[in-house]
Amino acid sequence: MTSRPPEEHLDSRESGELPRDPADMWRYAPPLDGYDELFDPSGAPRPAWEKPAEMLARLGHVELRRRWEQARQLLHEHGVSYDAYGDPNGVSRPWNLSPIPVILGSAEWASVSKGLAQRARLLAAILADLYGPQRLLSDGDLPPEIVFAHSAFLRPCVGVRPPGDNYLPLYAADLGRQPDGSMVVLADRTRAPSGAGYALENRIVLSRSLPDVFRESGVERLALYFRAMRDALRDLAPHNRDNPRIALLTPGPYNATYFEQAFLAQYLGISLVQGADLTVRDRSVYLKTLGGLQVVDVILRRVRDDFCDPLELGPESTLGVPGLVDAVRAGNVALANPLGSGLLQTPAVMPYLPALCRKLLGEDLRLPSVPTFWCGDRASLAYVEDHLAELVVRSAFPVGSGERIVAGKLPARALEELRDRIHADPRMFVAQRPFALSTAPTLGGGGADLAPAPLWMRAYLVTRGDSYEVMPGALSRVGAADERLALSLRMGGESKDTWVLAGGPVSTFSLLKPATAPVALSRGGADIPSRVADNLFWLGRYAERAEGTGRLARAIGTRLSEQRLSSETDGGLDALFRAVRAETGVPTIPPGNGAKAADRNRTSLVGAGERALASIIFDVEPPDTLRGVVASAYRVARTLRDRISGDMWRALVQLNQDVHERPAAPGPRALGEILSLVNQILLALAAFSGLGIDSMSRGLGWRFLDAGRRLERAMHIVTLLRLTLASAGASEAPILEAILEVADSSMTYRRRYLASLQAAPVVDLLLADETNPRSVLYQIRALGEHLDALPREAGSPRSPQHLLLFEATASIQLADVNTICTADDNGERPRLQALLARLSVLFPEISNSLSGAYLNHASNLPLREEDV
Amino acid sequence: MRLRIVHATTYEYADPVTTSHHDVHLTPRTVVGQACLAHEVQVTPTPRNIYERTDYFGNRARSFSLHEPHRSLRIVATSEVRRDDRRQLSLSPRSPPWEDVRDRLARDRRPDAIAAYGFTFRSRYIRPDAEVQDYALPSFPPGRPLLEATRDLTKRIHAEFKYDPGATDISTPLAEVLRQRRGVCQDFAHLEIACLRSLGLPGRYVSGYLMTTPPPGKARVFGADASHAWASTFSPDVGWVDFDPANDVVPSDRHVTVAYGCDFGDVSPVRGVILGGARHSLRVEVDVAEVADG
Repeated sequence: MTSRPPEEHLDSRESGELPRDPADMWRYAPPLDGYDELFDPSGAPRPAWEKPAEMLARLGHVELRRRWEQARQLLHEHGVSYDAYGDPNGVSRPWNLSPIPVILGSAEWASVSKGLAQRARLLAAILADLYGPQRLLSDGDLPPEIVFAHSAFLRPCVGVRPPGDNYLPLYAADLGRQPDGSMVVLADRTRAPSGAGYALENRIVLSRSLPDVFRESGVERLALYFRAMRDALRDLAPHNRDNPRIALLTPGPYNATYFEQAFLAQYLGISLVQGADLTVRDRSVYLKTLGGLQVVDVILRRVRDDFCDPLELGPESTLGVPGLVDAVRAGNVALANPLGSGLLQTPAVMPYLPALCRKLLGEDLRLPSVPTFWCGDRASLAYVEDHLAELVVRSAFPVGSGERIVAGKLPARALEELRDRIHADPRMFVAQRPFALSTAPTLGGGGADLAPAPLWMRAYLVTRGDSYEVMPGALSRVGAADERLALSLRMGGESKDTWVLAGGPVSTFSLLKPATAPVALSRGGADIPSRVADNLFWLGRYAERAEGTGRLARAIGTRLSEQRLSSETDGGLDALFRAVRAETGVPTIPPGNGAKAADRNRTSLVGAGERALASIIFDVEPPDTLRGVVASAYRVARTLRDRISGDMWRALVQLNQDVHERPAAPGPRALGEILSLVNQILLALAAFSGLGIDSMSRGLGWRFLDAGRRLERAMHIVTLLRLTLASAGASEAPILEAILEVADSSMTYRRRYLASLQAAPVVDLLLADETNPRSVLYQIRALGEHLDALPREAGSPRSPQHLLLFEATASIQLADVNTICTADDNGERPRLQALLARLSVLFPEISNSLSGAYLNHASNLPLREEDV
Repeated sequence: MRLRIVHATTYEYADPVTTSHHDVHLTPRTVVGQACLAHEVQVTPTPRNIYERTDYFGNRARSFSLHEPHRSLRIVATSEVRRDDRRQLSLSPRSPPWEDVRDRLARDRRPDAIAAYGFTFRSRYIRPDAEVQDYALPSFPPGRPLLEATRDLTKRIHAEFKYDPGATDISTPLAEVLRQRRGVCQDFAHLEIACLRSLGLPGRYVSGYLMTTPPPGKARVFGADASHAWASTFSPDVGWVDFDPANDVVPSDRHVTVAYGCDFGDVSPVRGVILGGARHSLRVEVDVAEVADG
């Protein structure tokens, strides 16, 4: 380390006149009434901060801000988000990471960790009793109300012993620091602790934007914690202990922390599944995959307890798995955390923890809770009624995070109403005594000033042996100054990486793949969940559909912007409008009636064309506009975040932004803007396709993505030909030119046929030429290869999809192109029409048949003996 | 008296159901005055396995699943029970004032008292509010013995509510039942329990059967009976006592107890989760008949 030359930017500042004293450099004035994380009361940095603070100060606020911007860009590209409202349109709140970490010394953290681990052991012991013999109730250690009045007490789970009697494999605690510097627990998270993945993402980004400070400070790595988590999950498996299948059960992409769930699943190398991906048969849980059913041994659960099994726990939810409770009861699957663990998120249990700790563990509680009063207790109620205005009032049995009422902020009448509500049913309320949370520095609005902001930390634990492994770090958040007394950790504000300094050498173990490894579909085999394959199939279809529409739009835009308009180009334009109207369903597209240009008002036609073009690209309705199709692709891709590469995802994020950029006013400039935008979109789509080809392993997932694309492309070409060449006009050249342009086959055509534009060779090139990657027959061949690779029951004959493909192939190959392209006396091409009409039925049938066999009705898959 | 009960549930689906999971509470309990002598459940199509268990409340429950497409499902439970409880409880003298019961349960840590205390809280379908309490209070003047007060409440619900199968379904909230004064046995049982709980008293939901008497001169019609529900409350030293607000009686030997729980949600005779099926129709036939003692 000592031989390493100093960083260049540090060098350049060594000679500058910037102040060296961190306190001076960071004009930072923490409030005097509390504890500040950075400075001690004398204004000197606390020991853990000394080195990092000095290095940060030397960086200077300008450089810090620059790196902050970099970090924000990195987070944006990673797609890190927290969806406070789960907006289905994909408008998610970007993750906001502060460039200044929170830094904790190793000795302090060791002490906090002991307290956290003890608390986790205690809560696990309480759960074991309440879901078992309930001696704590009969011995009078816990009021029965706290159990029976809480809807999170799941009666069907009483007596269900989790594998290894491990009632609380995962635990998280929200911590706050009191003015005297001691830590207290603000809330216990026992249900399905969230946020560890965000802490990891924060670390990855911040350690990249402050590599020198991070390295020199000697920070404990987080990776060991996640390895412990993976090991712990494995150890929970009741069967297949050598190689258990572990799945993360997510509520789905509309859940606020879906990003984190996908990230965590990917990082831990486990399957990300939704309830519908799983099925219970004969009291075991199976993952529905393309290759059949595969047993699931361990479920990392991010779905609320009572939503996990609509059969036994509550009919309201569609997120769960019917029969799951019974599979647990039979001991065939382990859940982390077990169903019913959410019970102990009630703050009402907090006042009883010190006594319970002595009784159950024979130890004094090391890490206290924020002073909490459960109003179901007479003495506590009396205290609360006397001191209401000083307290924060919460539901004793909150569903979700629950409301918190800062009583002191209420107007007199509301305070009396609150008093009445508590009096009416005291058991349902707890009150907590707020205190001034510690403050930590953040980059304020601008300039060199740092602002103090109240700090919350969420710490994470995972079971290990008889005790717990504590993540050396936390998900820290800072709030607004007026939230200092609120005692809650609200998601969606600014987040901080949390550094725990190492007492000794730092392990550099990482679960992350090296950055140079190709990003690939995580699992290529038949174990891919059917829903994932279905989504990949549709992603392929939507991406290809967007490309088809984009090409049509570009061809139209180019023609509209041409200076000299003639009836000849009009013919091409009309044909293109016919095709795009059929593909997008936009009603405002001018009718391509073949009338002569002279008969029409030139200007108004161009105006109408431009408006139609804008509609095709930017309108929200109908759903098949370019914007609609891209939105669909984006929506589907969100569910595949753990399956597609970061680059593919970024290409889609960009696309989804592009299709919102409608020019303000119509006109020639707008047309130019639209054209360049369409070009940009087509480039992004090409990038997306190319990445799919280059970066995805050739597993079944890729096959479904590509099959979707091939089917869509075949349908697009068939539609294009049907709507442009069904009848022969006087001069077909502009139409043929337009077709070749849209089908991206102009160059091939010219190379092959020189300049002569005729219907028959164009149709041949786009329909029957197997060497043209845009031809229908080429798509059929590719589809056939995919079908061959899909799992089928051994010895079963050709699949129905194969038969449909054969018919499509035969009908194309049996047709003599010259004959079918010859027009009859009425100028019609009835045989071409018939062929194209048949093909336009066959391809959707293939799609449906494929879905029916492998995707939609995945539950119909035969249960193969080797799978059971 | 020995009773034979046939309880048939038939679902017909418009589209094939690809997967279904069912959980049934159809086995009569053995309780004071009632013994379950024989019981079997037949399911068509036949599932690979039927799993039996005892639930939290001590009821016998069975679960099964089907993974082959099916357009109908028929579950037939046949049971024989002996009921020999003909006593009518002498109510008032032995039960303490209702406030005493309320206060004792909140402190008593004996197992049956703790268990009974567990029935004083809100549950999925029973969420007592001020209006429910207002309805209950006339039956519960200060100092009135619990069982006498509950008997009065039972009588009032019977008198003031109209039996109307078309008025409600399982999703109808209690407030609505209270407002329109109509419902079925299940609603009346829920209401009575809600009234009890609104005062901090224990209320338990009982599902079962009631043998009907055909009109004079008519023969019994198979399948004309129905599954039934009533309420139960707990008085220390006496135990649980049943009340049937739909018929204004204290259940006798014509009532057969199948299961109890906090509310209908815990003990619905048949519940299921299906995949596919689109629309479905449901037919329930229950027959309770006296048979010769064997």
